[in-house]
Amino acid sequence: MVGIMNPVSREKLASLSNSVKFAIDLGPKLELCRQLKRDLLEEDAAALSEFLSHIFDLYSDPSGPVRKLATEIIGEIGVKHLEFVPEIAPFLITVLEDATPAVARQSISCSIDLFRHTLEKIAIQGLHSSELDSDLESSWSWMLKLKEKIYSIAFQPGSGGVKLVALKFVEAVILLYTPNPNGSSEPPPNEGTPIEFNISWLRGRHPFLNVGDLSIEASQRLVLLLDQLRFPTVKSLTTSMIVVLINSLSAIAKKRPAYYGRILPVLLSLDPPSFVIKGVHVYGANNALKNALLSCLQCSHPSAAPWRDRLLGALKEMEAGGLAEIALNQVHKVNGSVEDEKDHSSVIKEEKPMTKACDAAGNNVGRKRSGTEDSCDLAETSDVSGKRVRSTPSVSEESTKELNRNTSMSQGDISSAQSTTRKVDVDTGPVQQLVAMFGALVAQGEKAVGSLGILISSISADLLAEVVIANMRNLPPTHSHTDADDELLEDMCIIGSNTQAKYPSSFLVDVVSLSSTFPPIAALLNSQQSVPNEIVIQKTEVDEEVDVMAGLNSTVAYAGMAHEAENALLPGMEKIDVPTPSDIPDVSNLESGIPGLDSSFHNDGLSDAQAASSLVSTDLEDASQEQGTSFGGKSPLHVLPSISIERSEELSPKAAVNDSSGVVSSTATSVVSSHSFVLPKMSAPVVNLSDDQKDDVQKLAYIRIIEAYKQIAVAGGSQVRSSLLAYLGVELPSELDLQKLLREHILSDYINHEGHELTLRVLYRLFGEAEEESDFFSCTTAASAYETFLLAVAETLRDTFPPSDKSLSKLLGEAPCLPKSVLNLLECLCSPGISEKAEDSQSGDRVTQGLSTVWSLILLRPPIRDVCLKIALQSAVHHLEEVRMKAIRLVANKLYPLPSISQQIEDFAREMLLSAVNIDAAEITDAEGLIIESHKDSELERPSHEHQSMSSTGKDISAVSHQSETYQSGSSPSVPEAQRCMSLYFALCTKKHSLFGQIFIVYSSASKAVKQAIHRHIPILVRTMGLSSDLLEIISDPPSGSENLLMQVLQTLTEGTVPSAELIFTIKKLFDSKLKDVEILVPVLPFLPGDEVLLLFPYLVNLPLDKFQAALTRLLQGSSQSGPVLSPAEVLIAIHGIDPERDGIPLKKVTDACNACFEQRHIFTQQILAKVLNQLVEQIPLPLLFMRTVLQAIGAFPGLVGFIMEILSRLVSKQIWKYPKLWVGFLKCALLTKPQSFSVLLQLPPPQLENALNRTAALKAPLVAHASQENIRTSLPRSVLAVLGLSPESQSSSQVQTSQAHTGDTNNSEKDAVAEISKESSGAS
Amino acid sequence: MKFRYAMVCSSNQNRSMEAHCLLKKQGFDVSSYGTGTHVKLPGPSLREPNVYEFGTPYKHMFDDLRRKDPELYKRNGILPMLKRNLSVKLAPQRWQDNAADGYFDIVFTFEEKVFDMVLEDLHNRDQVLLKSVLVINLEVKDNHEEAAVGARLALDLCEQIEAVESWEDSVDDILICFENKHRRKLLYSISFY
Repeated sequence: MVGIMNPVSREKLASLSNSVKFAIDLGPKLELCRQLKRDLLEEDAAALSEFLSHIFDLYSDPSGPVRKLATEIIGEIGVKHLEFVPEIAPFLITVLEDATPAVARQSISCSIDLFRHTLEKIAIQGLHSSELDSDLESSWSWMLKLKEKIYSIAFQPGSGGVKLVALKFVEAVILLYTPNPNGSSEPPPNEGTPIEFNISWLRGRHPFLNVGDLSIEASQRLVLLLDQLRFPTVKSLTTSMIVVLINSLSAIAKKRPAYYGRILPVLLSLDPPSFVIKGVHVYGANNALKNALLSCLQCSHPSAAPWRDRLLGALKEMEAGGLAEIALNQVHKVNGSVEDEKDHSSVIKEEKPMTKACDAAGNNVGRKRSGTEDSCDLAETSDVSGKRVRSTPSVSEESTKELNRNTSMSQGDISSAQSTTRKVDVDTGPVQQLVAMFGALVAQGEKAVGSLGILISSISADLLAEVVIANMRNLPPTHSHTDADDELLEDMCIIGSNTQAKYPSSFLVDVVSLSSTFPPIAALLNSQQSVPNEIVIQKTEVDEEVDVMAGLNSTVAYAGMAHEAENALLPGMEKIDVPTPSDIPDVSNLESGIPGLDSSFHNDGLSDAQAASSLVSTDLEDASQEQGTSFGGKSPLHVLPSISIERSEELSPKAAVNDSSGVVSSTATSVVSSHSFVLPKMSAPVVNLSDDQKDDVQKLAYIRIIEAYKQIAVAGGSQVRSSLLAYLGVELPSELDLQKLLREHILSDYINHEGHELTLRVLYRLFGEAEEESDFFSCTTAASAYETFLLAVAETLRDTFPPSDKSLSKLLGEAPCLPKSVLNLLECLCSPGISEKAEDSQSGDRVTQGLSTVWSLILLRPPIRDVCLKIALQSAVHHLEEVRMKAIRLVANKLYPLPSISQQIEDFAREMLLSAVNIDAAEITDAEGLIIESHKDSELERPSHEHQSMSSTGKDISAVSHQSETYQSGSSPSVPEAQRCMSLYFALCTKKHSLFGQIFIVYSSASKAVKQAIHRHIPILVRTMGLSSDLLEIISDPPSGSENLLMQVLQTLTEGTVPSAELIFTIKKLFDSKLKDVEILVPVLPFLPGDEVLLLFPYLVNLPLDKFQAALTRLLQGSSQSGPVLSPAEVLIAIHGIDPERDGIPLKKVTDACNACFEQRHIFTQQILAKVLNQLVEQIPLPLLFMRTVLQAIGAFPGLVGFIMEILSRLVSKQIWKYPKLWVGFLKCALLTKPQSFSVLLQLPPPQLENALNRTAALKAPLVAHASQENIRTSLPRSVLAVLGLSPESQSSSQVQTSQAHTGDTNNSEKDAVAEISKESSGAS
Repeated sequence: MKFRYAMVCSSNQNRSMEAHCLLKKQGFDVSSYGTGTHVKLPGPSLREPNVYEFGTPYKHMFDDLRRKDPELYKRNGILPMLKRNLSVKLAPQRWQDNAADGYFDIVFTFEEKVFDMVLEDLHNRDQVLLKSVLVINLEVKDNHEEAAVGARLALDLCEQIEAVESWEDSVDDILICFENKHRRKLLYSISFY
């Protein structure tokens, strides 16, 4: 040690502590502190003494964590350098008062370390010298002050985190002040040894510390601690305080059993429910108490013994459920007093699956490894299935108590025996005790039979085995005679039939040792027992495989097997003396075979064994043939020949085993026969089977049971029986195989085997297991077994039963839950083609089956309603129409009316609809504008589909371009695709008419194919829907762009029926207000009154020609009820009544309309035309198209010429020449109808005649010729003749006359003519 | 984060790792352990669990099971779970062997059996530091869904605890409040390092 501090490090430390002081942020500051701590602890005492004050300064820091760290540093310095205690202790006392609880706690933490070290040092120093140095003395006095201070905190009323630690401090001091019975009572030879301090080192020879005083103080403090838990103080404590107190006290009780008697009464009187006040967290305290009591119960110190009953009682009261565990503990306690309990239980834990039911009593082959044996053992054993599975002797509590007495009774023997056995074997003390006990009991003869039986049955199998093995060392090197054995055996057999196996220990030992290694040898030995031969001491790992061989041995082997079975439970076999007959020629062979047992017993060992046994059988007459045959027969089969035939056992699989394997049975009988020969009263052998063998046996048994079930179906009681079958199938360990068997049974004849009920039972069992509060892997496994089972059954039902069968639906409806895979199966059923290709003709029926199953599931199983609904909905948009229609029928007719899911269905259908239209639902709902935009867009695009992308990009409207993108991205669905998506929605529309509106909205933006699909649907749809108020509402306000759709709807609505007044009203209103398109009125035209139609007529005429024609047809046909709205004549007149200028209709439209009429000659007949012309000619002014119509009439019906002439002459009288347009027509007509028209022409006044002839030169010559006829010429006035150039007067005079007349005429009619002309010219142009 | 947390279940696979993962994401100083003797994972049947030693890397288990039966282990969620785990830490750790990991302030267990084992182990250690440790049991069923729920609850509780100056003074209030809020029963004890 260097006394002077290295200047460098001093500087470093100083700067470090300064930087700590001045660091501002907490994080770096703490980091610096830690750095400082590391450095400081490396320094020596002298250096530190200088520096201590600096660190004390650190404590003035305002932040809690820094103060805490400073305290910690100081505490550690103190522990390392006890000479500083006089300085540090006062510091710690101040820190105790710190406002921050964590800092105060740290102080206590430091204190206990410091206290312990100081005490230790002072104690050891006192041991070596009678004087103590004064420093140490003052340190000690400071420590005492510190201790008192902490005591005061611990016992002051109130609570808080500091108090918790203070209480812990008290506990620590108590432990330090009292002798540790388990610790070494000698101080360590040299001081440096790290050994736990024990006050008993002092032994009253310490100059300073008085053990007695210390222990008095400890005991006073303990009283204080206990007082805290006493009523009523306990009421003022918090739960955390109670928990800490309980834990501390139980720790003290465990470590210092002397205090048992003081601590336990308090703990036992503590009644958690009674100290619940102000909602204290009671479970914590309760649990702590329980754990404390349990740990006390585990204490093996003698002073703890008297408390067991009370502890048990208290624990039972605390939780009835833990009873089994407690009983378990009790048993262990009983065992524990004789044996080393720790070892025992650890062995058991390791071997858990095997140890299970291997109590001395049971040994039933049919037992399960899973731990719920309710069938064979006593009630307690079945309770064991709780938390920990341990081997327990299956004795009732009474017998346990009895045993208790027995053990205590024989305690004397044990102790006496110990002295002798200890010499032999130091390691296995308890085993030796037991050996001695057995010996003592056996020595008492028949008197002790009962006790012996109880003792055997109460100790665990492996322990018993150990006892037997241990006892082998007591054997004389030369084996005793058979007679003696027999005697002993007889002795044992008296014990009675209710106990299981009776073993004369000395006799059994050799059997055990032999059979455990090599059964044939045991047989050999049996016949050659008198030959003494000590050979190898061999260490053998006895694995379960050994059992295969074990059953073979005749006679004596029985007892051996039982033992051996137990030996198998030990993780490793002890060393065994194997006496081998030396006169067997093959000894060397055998010996070489034995080492092979360790690793590959089955291969090498078995063949060796066979060789050996065959040799033996030839050599020895005594070694019966049975042996050979049974062995030979057994080995290929691998089946265990031996059976546990416990007569009282109810569920022995004996019969099954016997029957299932002839070889086995023969072996069994051979065994039995030889058994009865030598040992008439021996009870049945108990053999352990390997897992594989157990599986085999169980499987065979199970197959047999199943087969039996097939035959006894008539017997009734199927309820119980099928429960049993299901239970067995699930519960037996090799669950996969058995479940398969069970499944095959169920499915082989589902109906007759009550497959449904049985399946459900199995499923419920598996489900229960999966849901059980158990560990992760068992419930996962059960869940997957469940799934496999259900799926397999469901698949078979699907594949084997006709689609009309309801079994599948019933099964799925009643199964406890439906895993995903089953739902997938259902989905495939409903939507064929998802995973497998659609089947043949049946697939349609299968779909129906699937859908009806889904329907019933939706009704019956609300939790999976959504999933099932999804399946149905997917099916409703299936690409096969057949499937789709079925599903849609289900969804729309059955499911949609269910209020709970209708919204979901609606949403789905809408989504599909929208997906067909390629617009997001969001877009369509939130952006009305978009629809218009896109509508425009589509309108734009419609004519030139190729250019759509160009045009839309040109427009550069984001929404539009988005839409065009979706178009481009290839969706633009085909018509069938669109139908696929929309059918469901249409079906829903028929159920809820208001949904129809969405179609109108969607329509405008839909692609061509979609529109086509919609149009295809509409007639059916609308017809189904009929006219409802919802529909009317939609019609009354159709979104723009949906006109075509509206038209179709209206057409459908009016087809074949008389539209209601509301509909007509709505349409008219729509026409008047919003939609000026007269087209919408077309469907209802036949139902409108004639006068209204006439008003509308101009609009009709203005329609495209084809539409006008359609409208025309409707008008003329009218409705079936009321007849035609307009007669053909009225129509023509109406057409002529149109004034292009006034009505704003192009003349062309009107002429077209006329033409259209003339095309229909069967309607617009000659008579009708005549009638029309007759009326028209009376109109003033004349209709603009009059002459045109006249011309057309002549063209169409030449027979009308005479009538036309009449008209023409009426026109002459109406001064037709005043209408320039008509005048032209008139002349045309006259030309056309010459020569009939000549007479009319000649009626014209001369000026007009002249005008006519001038205009139409072609008329002149024929007219002149006509007029030249004598009879006509005479009738003509001169002026006319003059015009014709037939009069004798000069041409000039006539010319003048004409011009005069003309002028006069013009003047006369100037007023109206001017207007007429201008009008006509403008109209005609 | 002023406290150190430990999440403990039996195999350090499902419940503790779920909580570990969540708390880690939230920035807590957290570790996780199992109290079993081995790490057990479901196998093809109840009788054939996959058993590993503690300390076997999750990656190793992942590869092992993927090799054995990818379909099965994917279906029962084991592979996804292992994948999650290997992103959290290297290998499952055993509580009883964690002395070298320093002391924790708060220990969460998810099963009463585990709770008891943790306490027993803590009591068996030399309690020299007098550093208190709060052990809380939150009963969580051992399946994937419940584990997720449990982890969220644990996080909630951790946040409550983190919010107070020292849990020793207010543990009762916090726990009662939690119980009332979530309708879950808690069990707790206090032990010392």
